[in-house]
Amino acid sequence: MTRLGDLTILVPVDVSEAELPPLDVLDHLGAVDVVLLGYFPVPDQAEPALVRDQHGSTAAERLDAVAAGHATHDEVLVFTHDREATIDRIADEYDCNAVLTGGRATTVDRVLVPLRGDVNLDRILGVVADLLLAGDETATLFNSVPEDTDPTQGELLLMGAVDRLVEYGVDRDRLDWRLEESGDPQTDIVELGREYDLVVLGETEPSIRERIIGGVLSSIVDALDAPALIVRDVE
Amino acid sequence: MSADGGELERTLGFLEAMTLGGGTMIGAGIFILPGIAAESAGPASAVSYAIAGFVALLAALSLSELATGMPIAGGSYHYVNRALGGLFGAVVGWGMWTGLMFASAFYMIGFGQYLVEPIPFLDGRGFVVGLGLVGLLLLLGVNYYGTEESSAFQNVTIGTETAIILVFVAVGLFFIDTGNLEPFAPFGAGGIVATTGIVFISFLGFEIIATVAGEIKNPSRIIPLSMILSVVLVTILYVLVMLVSTGVIPFESLGESPIPVSDVAVVYLGPAGVVAIVFAAIIAAISSSNSSILAASRVIYAMGRDGVVTDWFNVSHPRFYTPHRAIAATGGVTALLILVGLEVETIIALLAEAASFSFLVAYSLVHVSLVVFRRAEPDGYDPSFALPRPLYPAVPILGVVLSLVVVSQMATVVVVIGSAIVGFGVLWYAAYTRGRVVSEGLLREAIRGEPVEPYRVVVPVANPATQHGLLRLAAASATANADRGPPELVAVNVTPVAHPSPLQNLEADRADHQRDLLENAHDIAAAMDVTLRTRAVVASDVGEAILEVLEEEAADEVVIGWDGTLEHDGHVFGTAVDTVVREARCDVSLVDLRDETIGTPVALVAPGPNGPVVAHQAVEFAAVDGTVPTLLNVQSPGAGSDSDAETRGREVVTDAAETAGLDPDEYDVRVVVDDDVGRAVVEATHEYDTVCVGLSGRPEGTRIPFGTVTERVVGDVPCNLALIRGA
Repeated sequence: MTRLGDLTILVPVDVSEAELPPLDVLDHLGAVDVVLLGYFPVPDQAEPALVRDQHGSTAAERLDAVAAGHATHDEVLVFTHDREATIDRIADEYDCNAVLTGGRATTVDRVLVPLRGDVNLDRILGVVADLLLAGDETATLFNSVPEDTDPTQGELLLMGAVDRLVEYGVDRDRLDWRLEESGDPQTDIVELGREYDLVVLGETEPSIRERIIGGVLSSIVDALDAPALIVRDVE
Repeated sequence: MSADGGELERTLGFLEAMTLGGGTMIGAGIFILPGIAAESAGPASAVSYAIAGFVALLAALSLSELATGMPIAGGSYHYVNRALGGLFGAVVGWGMWTGLMFASAFYMIGFGQYLVEPIPFLDGRGFVVGLGLVGLLLLLGVNYYGTEESSAFQNVTIGTETAIILVFVAVGLFFIDTGNLEPFAPFGAGGIVATTGIVFISFLGFEIIATVAGEIKNPSRIIPLSMILSVVLVTILYVLVMLVSTGVIPFESLGESPIPVSDVAVVYLGPAGVVAIVFAAIIAAISSSNSSILAASRVIYAMGRDGVVTDWFNVSHPRFYTPHRAIAATGGVTALLILVGLEVETIIALLAEAASFSFLVAYSLVHVSLVVFRRAEPDGYDPSFALPRPLYPAVPILGVVLSLVVVSQMATVVVVIGSAIVGFGVLWYAAYTRGRVVSEGLLREAIRGEPVEPYRVVVPVANPATQHGLLRLAAASATANADRGPPELVAVNVTPVAHPSPLQNLEADRADHQRDLLENAHDIAAAMDVTLRTRAVVASDVGEAILEVLEEEAADEVVIGWDGTLEHDGHVFGTAVDTVVREARCDVSLVDLRDETIGTPVALVAPGPNGPVVAHQAVEFAAVDGTVPTLLNVQSPGAGSDSDAETRGREVVTDAAETAGLDPDEYDVRVVVDDDVGRAVVEATHEYDTVCVGLSGRPEGTRIPFGTVTERVVGDVPCNLALIRGA
């Protein structure tokens, strides 16, 4: 389940863009394995092979340029109609526990970890532990409870999570937690995220509605300035 | 680690393939054509739909096998081009492209009709055509700018559309007035078959699954499953729709309606039913037209890839990465076809039939291609879905016959238009494609009925100085045997190491040497226009390694270099060469290149099993410089006159040449009368550039026997020398 010391992060970059994001954040994560996925979005109208014929070498050069200077474990270049499907497939193939998306950060000192107390909790904590053990960041665990409800459940969740991380070997000084009672976790996370360099989020199984009009998760990721590390929800 | 080339994601699953196939099929065909069908076949038009569905099913079966054998973009065009060559490839490619444009125009006029008809004051052809154009423009815009995979949205809309038709059918079954179904076939069998040609367009779409085969996940399972299942389900649906339509409304009045399904629905579903049907019809027209444009761009891409049309169409948009030129060209022609609707009253039936014609021709050729592939069994064709007996050959035969029957019953004007498109494909091939296309098709192999095994000549290369000459000889040998299979060279370099192990790294300079050698071989082969593969081997025993390669490659011949000396270190020719000469199970040519030019070869032909092999080899080597070799025989004077000896000698040579299958004009004969064969050969060979001598047959022991003649020749001949040993 948790695989301490074996954290592999998938970093997808859109290689159809001429200007690729600097991946400085990778240099601040410590000793984690990084799989760099260069994906080239192909519109429905074009055969992927057609786009590869014409842009394959440019894309490969761009990917190499991004990878240069960072310790990446593997590089993959894929021409795809469906970015999400490709990320899923490659993450499976390379046994990635988490996917790094969005945002920019020049350093990674403070990590925000919003928790919802659901089934994905074990995996999120495993990844956070791996991350903290590999680098020297501090982490804030966060939970949001609806107004007018008993906050003890949230407190219990957060304190339990801190204890688990300490069990994994993380120094208690590097951990704190925070409970919000506004009832709107989405806004809270985005607001609070401004103060952090990296946000760790759990992947959620998208409903049919989310598949069509975009899910909560992706709207949080879009609104965040900091990069987000999405912990995958797969066995 | 570099990601060279890049992977191609296969994104279409079973549901996507079904909605693509089914969604394209359930288009204007079922919303517009019931009227026209009822008019020309009466209630029996349900039978027309069933026949058309059966013809489509046959095509789907053949296409399934071909698509699982070659799951890449292009569909029918690709299979026909590979099987039957560029001419038929061009015919089917152009046919499919124009067929898709006819279909697209047909869908968009249908779209206009369904929008205009329910609104009384918007009547008239102008509006129908105008709305079709607006719809097309919208589609072109969307496709020009590109869309990302939105399969969920597609699934929902196609699902809704199908659900509406299902309700229409399910409720309608209770409102059928059996009186309307009498007489069932007022226009007889002829009317039914003629109608089949019109409604066949309703089944275009299953083929689109094969067209996008390169993007389908798990293609070997999903392609056949989705193609066959979608055809079967859609056929059942159509037959029911037709029965309900002709059962609810008398076919005479159904025939007068441009929006028949809506007119039927109003009878038992009321205005709400009409709204639903209009909605479904519009969704259907848009999705069908959209898939047709999408498929057209795949067909053009595949044709450009194979050089059948210019690559110009295949430049993707610098920002949107769509094949914008292909889309613009497709859209432009489609718009013109829609505009024709202003002038031509029967445009709907005409477009439907013309599209059907193109695809029926394409499918007949697909069936033929399946037979060709089965007979020729080219390398790499290993379909996971193969038609079992007796479906094969029943499906392709029945498919061709039925397609032709349907085509033969089509309106004359359609046959003229369709034939013109076929003719255009032929002209295009003659004017543009021929000379550019490498694809020759598999027809010849198929007719011969045996798998195409190339004639393979293996050349061990080690020395950069001699490899050019060796490769030239090997290439000439392979090319001269082209009647026994397409010529293929395999250059192999064996780097000897003391103890080979997979973990051992070759020292860098040796690996470099090996790579340089083989790369050079590629350049030489490219200059000579032969197919060359290279193999780099690391082994402790060079001779054994070469033997292994010969076995693996099932080589027909090996051309191996040797330094021209005999008897050293207990070996005849050298360690490695001895092993090969002793044990290789193919023809062996042992070559010592003492001179640059191969020029005119001379072969010493003696009676015995080696004679024909030596004679043939001389002819092969002569091909390098385009000369005619001399086949030499030496006779001792013995009894009788010189002319008797001359005759005997000629007989030996012609016998050997005949056994080798050589034509008399492929060689010259020379007979020398002398006691000392060795001396005679050496003297005679002064006039030639290359000497071919036979080695005695396969030796039994470890020792390689060779006569004094050979020894003398090896020692004294100044020119190139080849020692030949038959298999």
